[in-house]
Amino acid sequence: MRPSRLHAGHAFLIPWFVGFFGLTLGPALASLYLSFTNYDLLQAPGWVGLSNYVRILTADAKVAESVRVTLLYVVLSVPFKLGFALAVAMLLNQGMRGLPLYRALFYLPSLLGASVAIATLWRQVFSGDGLLNRVLALFGIQGASWVSDPDTAIYTLVALSVWQFGSPMIIFLAGLRQLPRDIYEAAALDGATAWYQFRHITIPLLTPVIFFNLVVQTIDAFKAFTPAFIISGGTGGPINATLFYTLYLYQEAFGYLRMGYAAALAWLLVLAIGAITAAAFLTARRWVHYEA
Amino acid sequence: MASPRISRRRLLASTAALATAAAATRAEAQSTTRLRLYWWGGTERAERTNKTAALYTQTHPAIAIAGETVGWGDYWTRLATQAAGRNMPDLVQMDYGYIFDYARRGALLPLDPYLGKELDLSGFDQASIDGGKVDGKIFGVSLGLNSTSLVYNRQAFEAAGLPPLDWPVTWADFAKRMAEATKAVKTPGVWASSDAGNSGPALEVWLRGRGHEMYTADGKLGATASDMADWFGYWADMRAAGACAPPEVQALDKSDVDTALISLGKSLISFANSNQLVGYQAVNKSKLDLAMYPTSSTTKSGQYLKPSQMLSIAATTKSKEEAVKALSFFVADIEAGKLLGVERGIPASAAIRKAIAPSLDAMATRMSSYIAEIGPRVSPLPPPPPKGAGEILALLVRTNESVGFKRTTPTAAGTTFIKEATDILARG
Repeated sequence: MRPSRLHAGHAFLIPWFVGFFGLTLGPALASLYLSFTNYDLLQAPGWVGLSNYVRILTADAKVAESVRVTLLYVVLSVPFKLGFALAVAMLLNQGMRGLPLYRALFYLPSLLGASVAIATLWRQVFSGDGLLNRVLALFGIQGASWVSDPDTAIYTLVALSVWQFGSPMIIFLAGLRQLPRDIYEAAALDGATAWYQFRHITIPLLTPVIFFNLVVQTIDAFKAFTPAFIISGGTGGPINATLFYTLYLYQEAFGYLRMGYAAALAWLLVLAIGAITAAAFLTARRWVHYEA
Repeated sequence: MASPRISRRRLLASTAALATAAAATRAEAQSTTRLRLYWWGGTERAERTNKTAALYTQTHPAIAIAGETVGWGDYWTRLATQAAGRNMPDLVQMDYGYIFDYARRGALLPLDPYLGKELDLSGFDQASIDGGKVDGKIFGVSLGLNSTSLVYNRQAFEAAGLPPLDWPVTWADFAKRMAEATKAVKTPGVWASSDAGNSGPALEVWLRGRGHEMYTADGKLGATASDMADWFGYWADMRAAGACAPPEVQALDKSDVDTALISLGKSLISFANSNQLVGYQAVNKSKLDLAMYPTSSTTKSGQYLKPSQMLSIAATTKSKEEAVKALSFFVADIEAGKLLGVERGIPASAAIRKAIAPSLDAMATRMSSYIAEIGPRVSPLPPPPPKGAGEILALLVRTNESVGFKRTTPTAAGTTFIKEATDILARG
């Protein structure tokens, strides 16, 4: 390539570089520095060494509580969401008429899902005299106060997450449509049942897509914040039952102005997500089949 | 296509003209001082505040006031972020719980040098001025006086044949009367009282009745584990007797007027502040009234009068004198007082109180008479809350919920509360 063209190429990259260094890398490095300080927004940050990290890892009961809540949420919401997404994708892959319409309808909750309005609506549906309990009452069932009971609050958040299955569903659907028809035809000729075909053809061929969805959704679930924030009014209540790690981080940062401590919490979350993603990639060799 | 040709001379001429115009605009901009005014509150407050700001700029054409307002929930986060960015608004509505933090960190302008000059507080009594002092210097001026108050559905009380909550109602009496009231209203899903075991102000009044402050003058906890065990026990008994709402209902309350149980139609009483009567009445159909919190002594209450809000000035403001003059207008000018009314509490200036008295509506009159009648019964202002007080309020909510959902006993809750609150204060 001629040098002048190379320069032009670099020039076109500048906006991206400015964004990356100014808005992503710069603040990230600043937060790494702040995680070793006691910065409280109003006064200049003072160096405190590793003490934020030491406290998080050894002395903070709320960290343990929020990790427990977050893991429960990830472990429940990700498999249910992926299973549901795959089921709907297979249903839509039957070659039915009006597929684009159904696809759009099923994707709709995901477009709305991250919004404050939906979380507010969710709170209404699952409150003590909410929609769900009114429906249950028709069948003579006295429902609990789902969102304000510490035993059930987290499950309403899991349900909200599963309901937003649109994005993995679209990816599954795209994956399903790529599967070679001839293999299924051959299997059918050999007398394989639908379940056998699903278990031994669809799933293995779909593993790259499953893997992709699994990694993306797991990372998303660890980062979930808005639903818990809205449904609990920012408290993580009742009794910390919905205190996601991200919500605790937010409380420390913006509720109590412990920016240094919150920055340390954030970096530990980055490390944890990184480690879990790395572990997923390591195990992937055993179960993900890429066609040669 | 022929490209339009512009001679070099013309280009120079028009560039020069543009530069002159730009300079002129800059000069004009410099002659107006722009002040930013920041407050929390609802629509009613925003209207009154904007009208007052407009009145000031009419008589002071060189000043422009830009109002910024958000709800209480986001207010302090946003202010702290702006302070960190050295972009604090010039005039800041301030709360007694935060003024010490901001003043001691150097974020606020001491107002003493302006007193008697730009700042005219001649109509204020000394106690009102002292309420805005931190370490002997004035950092905030009262926008109105209030006190804690029960806001209760007087109409429902009368309809059920219950006597009004006139002073004095002791804590024991309150428990008994609330249990009776729940039975008397005979409506499933309605409890007489909200569960105020989670309320910092209610706890403070109760503690002061026992001779303890919420926080001592050196910023330590005033309560003991047995105080707290009794407190959580009191509300556990209330729940058991049906006198107050059960925990899963109380959890709906997000500590604002709109989600308070009285506004949701699930209770008859809210533990609130006297200046909130207007806000509560706006969302409640039945006629509401004010009453003092329950008390330990029948002659003296643990309640106190305090500036419900203050106005402060950012230390970083570029136009100190102009900001102080505008502040003085908001807190002490009679015309401003007429526009602001008693929405932020009873004005500290005697002249304003006199000027607005004839024009007050029934609600505002009730707020004024409440403040006047509790005057002889209230206790002095407590020591300022230490850093971490906000977090302790959240701890109180959580601990009361744990007892309510029977995850722990009142006695155990008292001990863990003291331990965790002590940790919070130590951490700062």
